[in-house]
Amino acid sequence: MSTTAATEPAGAAAGAAALPRLRSILILGTACLVTGISLIPLYIMITTALKSESDIFAWPPVWAFEPTFQSFYNAFFLFGGQNVLVFLFNSVLITGASTAFAVTLGAMAAYGLARFKFAANKHLAFFILSTRFAPPVAFIVPIYLMFNAVGLIDSQLALIIFYTSMNLSFVIWVLRSFFVEIPVELEEAALVDGYTRWQVFRRVALPLVKPGLAATAILSAVFSWNEFLLASILTQRDAATIPVYLSGFSASMGIAWGEYMAVGFFAVAPIMIFTLVLQRHLVRGLTFGAVR
Amino acid sequence: MNLHREKRRTAFGLISPAVAVIVAINIFPILFALYISLHFWSFGRGEPRFAGFFNYEELFYDDRFINAILTSGKFVFLAVAIEFLIGFGLAFLFNQKVRGLVTLRKIAILPIMVMPLVAGLVWFYLFNENFGAINWFITILGFDKVAFLTDLDVALWSLVAADVWQWTPFVMLVMFAALQSLPEYVYEAARMDGLDRWQTFWRVTVPMLKPSIMIVVLLRIVDSFKMIELVFMMTKGGPAGRTEVLPWYLYVTGFQSMDLGYAAAMAVVMLIIITLVTQIFVRGLEYREGQE
Repeated sequence: MSTTAATEPAGAAAGAAALPRLRSILILGTACLVTGISLIPLYIMITTALKSESDIFAWPPVWAFEPTFQSFYNAFFLFGGQNVLVFLFNSVLITGASTAFAVTLGAMAAYGLARFKFAANKHLAFFILSTRFAPPVAFIVPIYLMFNAVGLIDSQLALIIFYTSMNLSFVIWVLRSFFVEIPVELEEAALVDGYTRWQVFRRVALPLVKPGLAATAILSAVFSWNEFLLASILTQRDAATIPVYLSGFSASMGIAWGEYMAVGFFAVAPIMIFTLVLQRHLVRGLTFGAVR
Repeated sequence: MNLHREKRRTAFGLISPAVAVIVAINIFPILFALYISLHFWSFGRGEPRFAGFFNYEELFYDDRFINAILTSGKFVFLAVAIEFLIGFGLAFLFNQKVRGLVTLRKIAILPIMVMPLVAGLVWFYLFNENFGAINWFITILGFDKVAFLTDLDVALWSLVAADVWQWTPFVMLVMFAALQSLPEYVYEAARMDGLDRWQTFWRVTVPMLKPSIMIVVLLRIVDSFKMIELVFMMTKGGPAGRTEVLPWYLYVTGFQSMDLGYAAAMAVVMLIIITLVTQIFVRGLEYREGQE
């Protein structure tokens, strides 16, 4: 990677010193540009939420404007007679519960697959992974009929159950790769000390995969929080989540840009903070443990 | 012998709850979809009647379905190709040893976690013909406004652009992690063998990255194939079906036309397509593993 300055004639030394600096500036400049492009839509979202209605529709777009919280106020306390807080509450409840279930059941299964050798082990693991690849839209018809049959349409429980299942395959795969890395000797020692297998799992193995638990929990939460398709089919009003609220946006109404951007901000902001804080095992989680 | 049985019981106890959920919420619906697809089945029009393979035959002659398959193929190909090329390049950029890149990288990956529906909302606003920021930029450069979401030839590209914005950072992040995990000594060996940069890239770096490349491309194909949020927010399948991807057509068939049997047949076709694609990649990965 490094330059071959040492083999170059002395006369080029000054140029060779300037070149790496120029290269650094170019690299940094490109990286800034890329980061900027990543941020522009988020910037537009926030500024639109803070604009007055006339500024939102202004041509040419207004870049310097007096911020107002009118859109936030409208979205949360006035808009359409629907209370965003109910949607927010549903989102938090459903995300929290489904994440807790997925990580608990997933950690158990991952440990079982990582530790106990049995004939169907590898097939079972691949089978579990393969469920992650099925497009959610393929499930909407049967899942709707199933939940309809047991009377769970428009209840939080329906989405909690579906999201638990949706995240399980991912949680199992990622955590399995974490459990495999723990040296078996530790657990054998605990067994000799008289721990039951269940205690070994709870008190020895689980604490050792804490980073994995954190990563899978946060990614599961993000997937549940962001999910739209099944939420729009399984809920109508009482159990509807934030994406369902946002999907009510209609361009023909064309008047509520600011309000929807304001709700969008609340849909995105908590996730952004988590992402910035937890970066360490993100890749491992996102690729099912295949790339670290 | 006793110990063996106890071990098996523990394994079963750990794994079975997760498998039960997956079977009930993932596997059963697939079989149920298969069953529904063999029936004339719609909301509020009497009992389902057995239809044999009628729904599947119908798909063959349905121009709208053929169009949806082709549109999906186009969208997936364009999005994944662009995301991969840019993301792969950016991984190398962010892999350089320049101060400040670490922070920029953490910010640049934020789009990955943005709720897709919010991404659709913001890009809908950005692409607006009357007051969108992108058309403003275009007029500044001295060009005419573009009808990004209603022009027959442009609409699909607009969706691709929004998808590229959201998912290029994902490719970058994974490829970056893969690059970081390459051991330094292979580069030393390459240098000692007298390979120049270009040769090192093609004969050392790329072959060693191949498993990661395959995983990231597979995940992007699977995920962009099921994309529905951008269509929902930005085009609703229009103009003239130019952005009607398979998930959207299925959704409309099932929950607007209420033709559940036909929608289920589409779901089954989607599952077959995704299984074939996944198998190709898994075989490729297994083949490589077998060689090592």
